[in-house]
Amino acid sequence: MSQKLTARETLERALAIVPWIAAQGGTASVEEVCRRFDLGVDQLSSCLATVSMVGVYPYTPDALLEAFVEPDHVYVNLPEYFRRPLRLTPTQTFGLIAAGRALLSVPGADTDGPLARALAKIVSMSGAETAVAIDIDTAPSGILMSLQAATADLRQIEIEYYTFARDVWSFRVVDPWRVQALEGNWYLEGFCHKASATRVFRVDRIRAITVLGSGFHVPAELPPLDVFPDDAGLPRITLDLAPAGAWVATQYPVESSLLLDDGTTRVTLAITAGAWLERLLLRLGDDATVVNAGPGLEHARARASRRVLQRYLK
Amino acid sequence: MAATADKFERMMNLLAALLNAERPISAEQIQRRVAGYASEKEAFRRTFERDKDELRSLGVPIEVGPIPGTFPETEGYIVDRRTYELPDLDLAPDEIAALHLALQAVSVGGPSMEEGTTAAALWRLGGVADGTPVADEDHLAEIPVDGRQSILFRAVLERRVCRFSYTTAGASAEREVEPWRVGYERGHWYLTGFDRNREATRNFRLDRMGVDIKIGEPNTFIGPAPEIPDTEYRPWDDGGPEQVRALVRFDSDQALWALDALGPDTLREVESDGSHLFEVPVTAWEPFRSFLLSFLDHAELLEPPELRLDLVNWLQRYAEEDSP
Repeated sequence: MSQKLTARETLERALAIVPWIAAQGGTASVEEVCRRFDLGVDQLSSCLATVSMVGVYPYTPDALLEAFVEPDHVYVNLPEYFRRPLRLTPTQTFGLIAAGRALLSVPGADTDGPLARALAKIVSMSGAETAVAIDIDTAPSGILMSLQAATADLRQIEIEYYTFARDVWSFRVVDPWRVQALEGNWYLEGFCHKASATRVFRVDRIRAITVLGSGFHVPAELPPLDVFPDDAGLPRITLDLAPAGAWVATQYPVESSLLLDDGTTRVTLAITAGAWLERLLLRLGDDATVVNAGPGLEHARARASRRVLQRYLK
Repeated sequence: MAATADKFERMMNLLAALLNAERPISAEQIQRRVAGYASEKEAFRRTFERDKDELRSLGVPIEVGPIPGTFPETEGYIVDRRTYELPDLDLAPDEIAALHLALQAVSVGGPSMEEGTTAAALWRLGGVADGTPVADEDHLAEIPVDGRQSILFRAVLERRVCRFSYTTAGASAEREVEPWRVGYERGHWYLTGFDRNREATRNFRLDRMGVDIKIGEPNTFIGPAPEIPDTEYRPWDDGGPEQVRALVRFDSDQALWALDALGPDTLREVESDGSHLFEVPVTAWEPFRSFLLSFLDHAELLEPPELRLDLVNWLQRYAEEDSP
């Protein structure tokens, strides 16, 4: 905590700390100021030492800010023009409202609690009543709440899950470790007894959940959630994408992406399962040309086209 | 160390002078009367410009205006205390603590979000009694932002018209929009507003906007509409004025996702086997075809016949591509 702050970081804190101390009647404990504003005692001392030299022309004692530190307490006495903190920037207001509204959109959030009250005050200050709408509740709320409860209580569950990549439903017994929202989707991570391995599940693809009795242990150290798990050993496909299909390169974790001279984007993807590739190629049509396909992937589009056609030509 | 402290002191002095001023003060006056500036003109200019930029980046509203009574007219600088000062929000300790927890639970950030911006916001609000720093990992939720959000948010607040290039189906066009709301849903950011080119309310996905978003002068439009429509952006409803109604059947085990994507008002019927029948307004066929194909053989387009035929032709083109 005691590394040097830059001039900007010191200024940012000073413009909040100094008015705050003034609002406490001009004095506060060193320990509390350091805790509230996340800085060390030496940083606070040197900040206030500088503040005591600040003022306006002609910099006579009566034109300077007063600030000093004693072993336990700090004291300030400020001219009128420094008594209020600087207002929030639009980015800060936006960040607070976005985080707060996201949390309030989660099922089970206390929509009359302190967070809702705090947001109402910030929103009304900024005039942003309708300016921001955040919804991270994309999963069926009953399922999400059951998962959160099972995760908190360390209870094993059985889920009925749709594997999008293979287009199949299955039942799986899972030790639920954590539930998180990333990029607009909720994910469950846990130990899957069917796969005998760690798995990440999309909560909106869980159709049913049964809480089983038994408990389990969560690994002490969980690395950041990885929704595109390690894919070594999977077959690869290389595609040339026309400009209208170039969104693939930004939407999926491509292994390589190369813009060719004619405006084509050449990407290589690891393919977990056939149905995923089928959808992709069917949707892209002529905007994708298969350059190179790993084993089993060569005829994905033709195979899928025939299967879907059966539905139309019966 | 000394240099850092000097710079901090000089910027505080500059801010004090600007806040304390009753009328705009000239650069020359600042050079003479604010402690810490060089007497050499060029060195002063450079330092003064940098300090000004840095103060503005913290949100200090430095205004530039003519100094009354000067001839020829000279420009000066001032900070209006009414726009500088944070209004008293009267936040109770549990309310600040709740904001702090929200910032810990939800990470609103990304590579371009200035480090610590939201933590600094809490300091301005008085800090949190138990101000342990906001942790970087293990958030309940992460919402990626890339800088476009706060530009647009500012435009919404200050009623500034936005101009940006917008890409749909591989083609870019300039759009001019009166911004009403910035929203986040299903992993995407949206701007809702009045599209001046199309003379209609539209939703725009931020990831399809060019990075160079221009915002105009403040208070240049009236609005927003009293009822801002749903943020939901449906690419098949982003086409021209011509609209067809597509009738589609989805298998029961995929019907919930279809319902979610199409919206409940398009549902016509749930059949005895659990299949769902939807009637969907479509103005852009290609995105809708792409949406249907993502359901593989779990969806069937029933009407209109010409679109059904187009879909069948599309599939037939690829059905035989593997035969020699």
